[in-house]
Amino acid sequence: MTQRPRNSTNFHLRAQRHGPAGLISRVADCCMWFGRYLERAESIARQLQATSSLALDAELPPTRCWHPLVVVAGEEAHFKERFGEAFGDGERVQHFLVWDDRCWVSLFRTVAAARENARSIREVLSGDVWETVNELYVWMQNEGPEGGPAVYRARRDDFYRRVRQMTQLALGLMRSTMLHDTALDFIWLGVMLERTNQTARLLDVHHHAFGGEVGAGATEVHDATAPGALNHQVVETAVWVSLLRACSGFEPFVKSFAGRVTPAAVAHFLVTDARFPRSVTYSLHAAYERFSYLRPPSDGDLPGGESLAMLARLDKWIANLPPSLPDLHAILTQIVDETARIGETIGRELLGYEPTPSVASSPEG
Amino acid sequence: MKSLSGLLTDYPALPGTFDELIGTDGAPRPEFAECLAMLGALSPDEFARAQSLAELALLNQGVTFSVYKDSRGTEKIFPFCLVPRMVSARDWDHVQRGLEQRITALNLFLDDVYGDQRLFAETKVPRDLVLGAQGYLPKLRHIRPAGGVRVVIAGIDLIRDPDGVYRVLEDNLRTPSGVSYVVENRVLSKRIFPRIFDAANVQRVDSYPTKLAETLSSVAPDGIVDPNIVVLTPGQFNSAYFEHTFLARNMGVDLVQGGDLFVDDDKVFLKTTRGPRRIHVIYRRIDDAFLDPEHFRPDSMLGVPGLMRAWRAGNVTLVNAPGNGVADDKAVYPFVPDMIRFYLGEEPILEQVPTYVCLRDNERDYVLDHLDELVVKAVDEAGGYGMLMGPQASRAEIAEFRARIIENPRRYIAQPRVELSTCPTWIPDKRQVAPRRVDLRPYILTSREGPWVLPGGLSRVALVEGSYVVNSSQGGGSKDTWVQGNGGRP
Repeated sequence: MTQRPRNSTNFHLRAQRHGPAGLISRVADCCMWFGRYLERAESIARQLQATSSLALDAELPPTRCWHPLVVVAGEEAHFKERFGEAFGDGERVQHFLVWDDRCWVSLFRTVAAARENARSIREVLSGDVWETVNELYVWMQNEGPEGGPAVYRARRDDFYRRVRQMTQLALGLMRSTMLHDTALDFIWLGVMLERTNQTARLLDVHHHAFGGEVGAGATEVHDATAPGALNHQVVETAVWVSLLRACSGFEPFVKSFAGRVTPAAVAHFLVTDARFPRSVTYSLHAAYERFSYLRPPSDGDLPGGESLAMLARLDKWIANLPPSLPDLHAILTQIVDETARIGETIGRELLGYEPTPSVASSPEG
Repeated sequence: MKSLSGLLTDYPALPGTFDELIGTDGAPRPEFAECLAMLGALSPDEFARAQSLAELALLNQGVTFSVYKDSRGTEKIFPFCLVPRMVSARDWDHVQRGLEQRITALNLFLDDVYGDQRLFAETKVPRDLVLGAQGYLPKLRHIRPAGGVRVVIAGIDLIRDPDGVYRVLEDNLRTPSGVSYVVENRVLSKRIFPRIFDAANVQRVDSYPTKLAETLSSVAPDGIVDPNIVVLTPGQFNSAYFEHTFLARNMGVDLVQGGDLFVDDDKVFLKTTRGPRRIHVIYRRIDDAFLDPEHFRPDSMLGVPGLMRAWRAGNVTLVNAPGNGVADDKAVYPFVPDMIRFYLGEEPILEQVPTYVCLRDNERDYVLDHLDELVVKAVDEAGGYGMLMGPQASRAEIAEFRARIIENPRRYIAQPRVELSTCPTWIPDKRQVAPRRVDLRPYILTSREGPWVLPGGLSRVALVEGSYVVNSSQGGGSKDTWVQGNGGRP
């Protein structure tokens, strides 16, 4: 790990400005979840948009395009229960992931949850941020000719684009219109934990579906579940490009790798590149850094010591991963599980959650 | 005499009713003539467009109230009519002095009723009737509240009779709501009709949050210089949640829920990510009964256990003070003029509405004989609930109220139906402006130094033709209230 996005002078300035006040635990909780849901909404919209485009090209069976999205969303069993093996039905998958009330992570539910959290911290957010999130929510419910459902039916790409733009606008407005204080730190902590999780899951699922052993540098397809291997170079490239697009990472990637798209390079980029703001390394380090503003390592008396230690440990572990990323699946699983445990610990230490003994014990990374 | 064109042409004024903007001759009242001419010059199309712009802005900003009966927790905008209600400088001067006088007397009454109760000893105000109010909390007697002011924030509902006389309809001395709409409506008026607004020379209302923060600071417990203030809300499912966030945001204080606070050693603390923080002043927007499960309702999930102990010990100021309900009880209302005379030695500046107290035998008999002419109100209900509009009621409704009054006379009062004044109001279905009945709720802040009246207020309008009920829960809407400044501007 080489590059740190923020220097230490900046850190001291912030520490001064923070003052001793602290944030109401309930408010901090809503801040974190607001950040998580906002980031998740953007991520889901991005994945759907990239996949819609991928599925238009003829070479790939639709199931291979859409199935991974349902898996990344963690809704495979639920989808199967309701729609059987219809993973190739792009319309059905999209409707499920965008509008379904029973889909835990559907875009609409995610936006509604972001907005609901925003509403309960209305006094914390700037008016601009609130209005952006509220407008998105109102638009997605608007049954009129220019409302979300109509745009979804008539101009799918516009629909995803609008959702992404509004969430990106909200994320940007937080930087430019809000106090850079504890509340914002909690929001970004949520954003960065969610981003770590999204990138890791997305890569893991794609790797499982299309990948093979990255470490071996092989381009051969290794997928036990799929009938018929995908070994056509062009198609394979398209799939990995689509993954990069789903992470807004295509252009940054080609700048770094001079256009050579291989599974190993993509995995390496998405996990370890500290310059890319959606890489696991960057996101998790940013989460760690945010947390250090909230709970400086020097303030041993303040609550949050265990969370800080866990974040520091995971940050270091990721920074020291061998460049070849042997057993990528195990690495990504560890990252996903550990960020979940960190979320629980922060909840218990700072946000007033009930302790959850079964998951609170942290294995050494 | 100017004739009207456009929007206000052929304004169908209601006979026997005072109109706020248009005189009996059909011409605009002279003090508003200039801006009404500009308003009247708009075409229905232009006005409809402006109106939908305003509604979209309110929806996008989330200026909404929750509708309880809906399971999905739907929020609605409070219908807003862009035609302003205007008040002349001369009228406002009268209203302002009357409100200051009234709120001063009501504060003295509360100190007295929770103190020596001189009022009953030295006047004919009936002790049993006053102390029988549900809002009277005998356990609080002889507690001097921290900060010394019991009614810090009041909303007093005024109506205007056919002669244009302002009358107090009721007092709200516990948790009056609506002031956020006053400020937000004003933002829209200025954005959408800047030139008309400019022509009207209107006093500003956006100073309210600052004034409120100063007032709350001033009533901190003795010796606290830079108090920590919070707004306590029941949460986002409360119908007035938008207002709670509005107040917290605009004062820059924390918006808290009961669970965020705890009491230790009779002091109140806020749970933060950096440990407990002492709180000195709580602007609470929850009812007395839910404040403290140790003291009032044990099943309250909204309150803070031990809060009343902390208040009693003088370590925290509760705004408004608990127990104020005795002063805005509708059966106590008829005696407010007596209070003004007794505590201040002055004649009341503002008129009231004649009121029959059903607890008194002769008044009850009159009420029961004239139910079809009177408005009957339950003394402890608000929001237009628990009310009988005699002249419009069915026989069954009248029979039901007769039985209720006989069973529990203390709970009811009756008043003649006042022909509430009207104000020109945009009727979307008809795409025209028509008279609709309005009331006015001004807000009064009382610091340690005395009362201050916000120059403006919430004008509520009964949008339904022929209706007298302006409450938002019953099809009411709101208007911006333009109080004209004293003298011309340079």
